[in-house]
Amino acid sequence: MDRALRDEIKELLIRALDLRGRTAAEIEDDAPLFGAGLGLDSLDALELAVAIEERFGVSMPDGEEGRRVFASVAALAEHVRAHRAVE
Amino acid sequence: MSTERIAVTGVGAVSALAVGARATFERLLSGERAVTPLSLFDPGATRCRIAAEVKGLDVTAIAPRELASRFTRSDALALLAAREALADAGAAELPGTFGLAIGATTGGMFETENDLIAKPDAPLAVRALRLLSHPLSATAELLTAVLPGVVQSSTVCSACSSSAVALVRAAALLGSGAVDRVLAGGTDGLSRLTFLGFDSLGALDPEPCRPFDVSRRGLNLGEGAAFLVLERESVARARGANVLAFLSGGAITAEAHHITHPEPSGMLAAALLRRALERAALSPADIGYVNAHGTGTQQNDAMEALALRAVFGDDIARVAVSSSKAQLGHTLGAAGALEAVISVLSLERGVAPPTAGLENPEDPALLHVMGGARAFSAPAAVSCSFGFGGTGSVLVFEGPESAPRPLAARSPARVVVTGRFAIGREERDSDPSTQLNPERSRRFDRGAAWPALASSVLLERARLSPAGVSIVLGTAYGSVERSVRFLLRAIASGARMVSPAEFPHLVASAASGNVSIYASLTGPALTVVAREAAHEESLATAALLLSDGHAAAAIAGVISPPDPISDAVLGGPGRPRVEGGGFVLLETDVSAASRGVPVLAELVGTWSLASLGETSAPDGPPAPRSITRSLVLEGELSDAARAWLDASSWGTCPRVSALEGGFHEAVTALATARALDQLAAGEQDEILIANGPTSALHLCLLRAAAERP
Repeated sequence: MDRALRDEIKELLIRALDLRGRTAAEIEDDAPLFGAGLGLDSLDALELAVAIEERFGVSMPDGEEGRRVFASVAALAEHVRAHRAVE
Repeated sequence: MSTERIAVTGVGAVSALAVGARATFERLLSGERAVTPLSLFDPGATRCRIAAEVKGLDVTAIAPRELASRFTRSDALALLAAREALADAGAAELPGTFGLAIGATTGGMFETENDLIAKPDAPLAVRALRLLSHPLSATAELLTAVLPGVVQSSTVCSACSSSAVALVRAAALLGSGAVDRVLAGGTDGLSRLTFLGFDSLGALDPEPCRPFDVSRRGLNLGEGAAFLVLERESVARARGANVLAFLSGGAITAEAHHITHPEPSGMLAAALLRRALERAALSPADIGYVNAHGTGTQQNDAMEALALRAVFGDDIARVAVSSSKAQLGHTLGAAGALEAVISVLSLERGVAPPTAGLENPEDPALLHVMGGARAFSAPAAVSCSFGFGGTGSVLVFEGPESAPRPLAARSPARVVVTGRFAIGREERDSDPSTQLNPERSRRFDRGAAWPALASSVLLERARLSPAGVSIVLGTAYGSVERSVRFLLRAIASGARMVSPAEFPHLVASAASGNVSIYASLTGPALTVVAREAAHEESLATAALLLSDGHAAAAIAGVISPPDPISDAVLGGPGRPRVEGGGFVLLETDVSAASRGVPVLAELVGTWSLASLGETSAPDGPPAPRSITRSLVLEGELSDAARAWLDASSWGTCPRVSALEGGFHEAVTALATARALDQLAAGEQDEILIANGPTSALHLCLLRAAAERP
């Protein structure tokens, strides 16, 4: 588990998606980002993909794999860690 | 208030298929497609690289020589289509009063982008100057200068339903009796901003698109313009005009659902369609053809098919349905008018053009026009438009042989003000977003946050349900700095790095859409663009929508939020541009009386006087009722505007400056709030608000209610 990376992704989420009033500490690592969780939608997913690619140089997958990667902060961090490591 | 029918007596169109309405229609019938590799600009690393361009458009050859430097592609497209419509109506040389109603979204964006790219080292205010020198209303200004007889113009934006909304506004204007004819339509040139924005949303099909097909992957963008000459039937008949069709009904509603996603069940779109039919006093059985919005995106087409099923029921297998967007591209602000022209010509010919690219319909229950044109015999056709922000508009046309019949009665109601919300000196330092629900106001700038807060406060104070309430925001320039930032990021970092979530907030109507969604306002949500007359235009448009029965109540007004580029260009030494604005709650006197709410004042009317120097002074407001209890609140006045006021019947009334230590484009919105306070307190009987910093004079007359609260 990469604490620093997860926290960085939470900060990125708040900034890129304009989650005004939220703090990184409030966002749980494994909480669902979309639907019930943070209440994000597919437009947010597109924005988040751009923000992550810009920040980490890691592109986000589409389709079923994309759904897995966008499931939570933990899943996002794992995807970023794995693909940064390859480069 | 007239209940006469609205005759369509001329049409004009420029599309990627052809210059000319009937030439475009012939090519539509033959199934031709205009989607080709993009040549107007290099979009960079976009997924999609095709569009429907108007090839060989020579802007400087189309524009009159003295105006050529001001003309953009959007303007040139508009002028071609407008001239054709006037000639088709035999109305090019007609005397009398012409209104001009334009719907648009891109304006001079393509040329602004060229400036941004061409002058990398210049200050940003210089690179982006065109957004201020050529706002969305510039097309209407240029057409007014070129075409004879235009006495008033309006520019509306509601994203992809803009020009359908312009047509509904035009019909309301004709119904009010203010003008004899309206040249109504829309125009939008292609731009990098819209191309990159839709591409970033994954909304563009990299291949020629397939509306309503199971395998559809998105839309193709296009460009074009279309205009219709609309006249009251008696006016058209009196001059022996050839009536092509009647605009029997039109409706506008907002979904108040999501900035980009349509409400998926289609039930809100179905309610809009039913409302349009009801206004036309027609039943679904009268409809032979539906020109669908049919963009080719997953969400729109699924939603629209459900809406059509709901409205037509068992009759769905009889009604021909097609989308023209696979052939013409999605022309955004021009689409509503272009498809209105197609609907009119389909009635004239009794034949519906096909949906190109459609092979396997997702909903085979619909009578999709596929593989070739299809004849139909029912007397009416409808055209559907939906847009980002949630405002949709449906137009109903009938053939020229249709018999007149009683239309839904519209009461001659007066429009009154029952609430006001000001953003003045005290409010300038506060942050409106702290009073909003944070989750529901993401990406709101102050231009959206203020009207969202105002709407919530006004409805709560008035104990009014948001259902059917309209929001009409005025703006001088739209979203200048945000649009420039979006483009600069694309220029610096490439097409793949533009912000998809930001894009829907850049269209001029974004704030009204956001407010509609935030406050659940389901009446018409739209933005009017009119430089220093933005406030008067927002009031005039809201009043037209109210008196023509399109809204239960309306919130109208302008906010001029801080904007670094606008502040630098428009402000100056001794004349700082500051934040300011105001919003009012408008309803009919009947509505206010039935709810038993106090009336702050009656909105008597608004006037825009353009030719102040001419000897035949145009009609202005009625004379003051009393010299002692009638006041003029003045904004910035040119010498000519001051001279007109001096010589007018209001010349001897006391005058007070409405400027409060700073300038902004909403001076009269703030002045209106002040006037309402004075009228409600019984200090004055009438207040005329006058503003005219340039060549025109804009007036708004408010009168104390007979019984003061």
